[in-house]
Amino acid sequence: MSTEKLALTTNSGARKPASAGGAHNSLAAELTRLLGPRKVLSNLSERLNYRYDAIQFGATPLAVVLPESTGDVVAAVRAARAAGVPIVGRGAASGLSGGAAPTEPGLVISFTRMTRLTIHPERREAQAQAGVITLAVSDAARPHGLIYPPDPASFRTSTIGGNLAENAGGPMCFKYGVTGDYVRALSFVDADGEEHHVTRDAFDLAGLLIGSEGTLGLITEATLRLIPPATHTRTLMAHFPEVGACAEAVSAAIAAGAVPSKLEFMDRACTNAVEDYLNLGLPRDAEAVLLVDTDGDDLNTVQDELQLVADACERAGGTVRRAATDAEGAALWRARRSVSPALGRIRPQRMNEDIVVPRSALPDVVREIRALGDASPFRLVQFGHIGDGNLHPNILFDPRREDTHAVHDLAHQIALVAIRHGGVLSGEHGIGSMKRDFMTDAVDPGTLKALWNVKRALDPHLALNPGKILPAEGVNG
Amino acid sequence: MNNDIPVQTLGGQGEVMAHAVDACVHCGFCLPACPTYALLGDEMDSPRGRIVLMKEVLEGGLPLLDAAPHLDRCLGCQACVTACPSGVPYGELITAFRGWSEPQRQRSPLDRAKRAAILKILPAPKVFSVAARLGQFAKPLAPALPAALRSPLDLLPESVPAMQPSAAFTPARGVRRGRVAFLVGCAQQALTPNFNAATLRVLSRNGIEVVIPDGQGCCGAAALHTGARDEALKLVRANLNAFNPDDFDAILSNAAGCGAGLKEYPMVLHGEPDEARAQAFAAKVMDISEYLGGLLADGTLEPTLPASRPLKVAYHDACHLAHAQGVRAQPRDLLRAIPGVTVLEIPEGDLCCGSAGTYNLEQPELATQLGARKAKNILSTQPDLIASGNIGCHTQIQSHVRRQGDRAPVMHTIEILDLAYRGEL
Repeated sequence: MSTEKLALTTNSGARKPASAGGAHNSLAAELTRLLGPRKVLSNLSERLNYRYDAIQFGATPLAVVLPESTGDVVAAVRAARAAGVPIVGRGAASGLSGGAAPTEPGLVISFTRMTRLTIHPERREAQAQAGVITLAVSDAARPHGLIYPPDPASFRTSTIGGNLAENAGGPMCFKYGVTGDYVRALSFVDADGEEHHVTRDAFDLAGLLIGSEGTLGLITEATLRLIPPATHTRTLMAHFPEVGACAEAVSAAIAAGAVPSKLEFMDRACTNAVEDYLNLGLPRDAEAVLLVDTDGDDLNTVQDELQLVADACERAGGTVRRAATDAEGAALWRARRSVSPALGRIRPQRMNEDIVVPRSALPDVVREIRALGDASPFRLVQFGHIGDGNLHPNILFDPRREDTHAVHDLAHQIALVAIRHGGVLSGEHGIGSMKRDFMTDAVDPGTLKALWNVKRALDPHLALNPGKILPAEGVNG
Repeated sequence: MNNDIPVQTLGGQGEVMAHAVDACVHCGFCLPACPTYALLGDEMDSPRGRIVLMKEVLEGGLPLLDAAPHLDRCLGCQACVTACPSGVPYGELITAFRGWSEPQRQRSPLDRAKRAAILKILPAPKVFSVAARLGQFAKPLAPALPAALRSPLDLLPESVPAMQPSAAFTPARGVRRGRVAFLVGCAQQALTPNFNAATLRVLSRNGIEVVIPDGQGCCGAAALHTGARDEALKLVRANLNAFNPDDFDAILSNAAGCGAGLKEYPMVLHGEPDEARAQAFAAKVMDISEYLGGLLADGTLEPTLPASRPLKVAYHDACHLAHAQGVRAQPRDLLRAIPGVTVLEIPEGDLCCGSAGTYNLEQPELATQLGARKAKNILSTQPDLIASGNIGCHTQIQSHVRRQGDRAPVMHTIEILDLAYRGEL
């Protein structure tokens, strides 16, 4: 779908109601004076919709700004600073760590209308404003024989600004790298409302902003690197009677020299949830399903690599099926992209994890987590980018009937499994508020202090997305 | 999504609504599928945003009046249902919510009169026919009229034919292979009587006898989707009494909106004594393309004559066929089965054309933008013919394609099949 926004009065067909319980606060009034009513939301019905991301509900903002230019962002930040309220940046709010859910009432700046996108084929670059939909970059680049590889599951929805803020990954990232590997330069507005343009040299400030989850600055635009797509892609699906065997197959395939472009795993509950949605004929009885793409410009090499993976899967006790057509391969990937939301069919709420562990530890890690889940009263499922050791264990629960503290404890135990095996807490979703409490387990006090120093240098008033990533100072693990 | 919707006090419809909200994990996968989000780019005008707004209103945390503008802008196209991995029955939620909230709405007398008129005229083909003919005379005056009156006039087809009532019984030609009941619909009897005539001819030619049960009326979708639940219930019960599902292989509709409405009967009567009857009824309901597509798949569909020349047909997915009923392949397969016909895919094919039942009359500005966008996308394929399976889409697309200066005929899929059988395509 085109991301072009039409200039339309959002009041068409219905007058804006005089807001009952609305924010007739001075911030909203000042923003409206500066930016005009089209770009400022102050009614309760409008503000309520800017308090969540795809995992968590937060505090209702005092006002929402929908900027159409960097100048609008600068004006909004300065007004919020003058009013002394916190500022949270927001893209499509498809994130899974609470990154865009405000922890306290303040200003939300939603970038969904900043959608200017220019492709420079001669430089193999795209210039994208923060609100550009991720997939739109590849769609615009493809006629020039180029693509933008980072492909988070939400790439039809998510925005470039959000992808940079969380340093988003995706299935393609195993071979091609994550969002940060494709950013040549970016522009951001700092906590005082100053605009900056930074590149990857001289402190690599761009690298510092990437993955900073809106806590160091508000990314407004980026220069992205594009590459020609591989000429050939081949897909296989393997299924296993036990999750650990799937992890063993992955390790063996990579050790044998295969470099698949995508290596993804989902367990039995995930497979059944997406099968309920798409009816593709996925193996419902398998304990683990592995999806693999190999790609390249030489078909023989691509097929040889797929054979290496198939052999490793069969040796580990798996059953292998190759996709006969591109359409069949595409359908399998659509299934994989739908796993996370499809889990809503099982329980209304989730606590999701995003751990990364060394590949050699994968079989032990998935088995330990499976055992933790079996010993708990909750439904625990696992899926993820198993090729680079990035797993998404999800605890599914119903907060009306189940103990949320126990959910948190189980999530903590899972995080500790990752740390014990030399892993980290977040591969691509960010720390946000969901995993902030586990940071003291993962990071030593001296390093946390260094992170706080960075935060203070760029955001001395602690106005940008407070309550995210860093545990309050003085909290020691 | 966690919620405190007071199901106990809201009854059966409350259960329908709470179930939908429960299933939503607010992932945002629905956003790119939503036409109003595409136009407006704000969360309140997205499916996810609307689910949150409905939840807040039902929980008592937000006045209905505050949420209303955004909920009123929803087309009910259900593109979000197709996009949703969690299985949120959004269509059921918005329909049930509109039924629950409408009695609490404070509308202006003019607004009330307009809504009442639509619901009176639409289900009464004879009245509609007269109104449409009067409208023909008023068409030249359109530019001078206010938008609320102009939009229905713009949608009237180039000419309004005379009413042709359909026979109560149409025998099968040749060996009788099946027996179906047929819902004749409302507006299309007045505006496009050939839809029904073509349907009867094609079924008969395939050995299917067709009964048009007496006592049937409007499917109730228009009333239901505008929140007039009491009127809708009367129409639903009348149809349940008119059609005995045990007597027929299938109950057919050739209007996507009506077929989707008929399939919603169990939801409408959820928790009520007639629910089981509604389920038995809905289990037999099929769109004409679904039924004929089944014959094609079985290899029992009579082959048509070839088209007189190679024809490129742009097939438009009516939202109530594709998203609401999941019928996408069958109409394309039926068209492709005609020798000489190529089916073209329309860019942004999942995006609503803006007709959306009475939306055209309620939200003319958004409807017009979507109509223009749809026509532009259709014409980009350079079709010889444009096909759809819904009267609302038909009039909207015809009107916008003409506005963009193109003369390509706009037809119902069944009309194209009918012409092919008669060797006139």
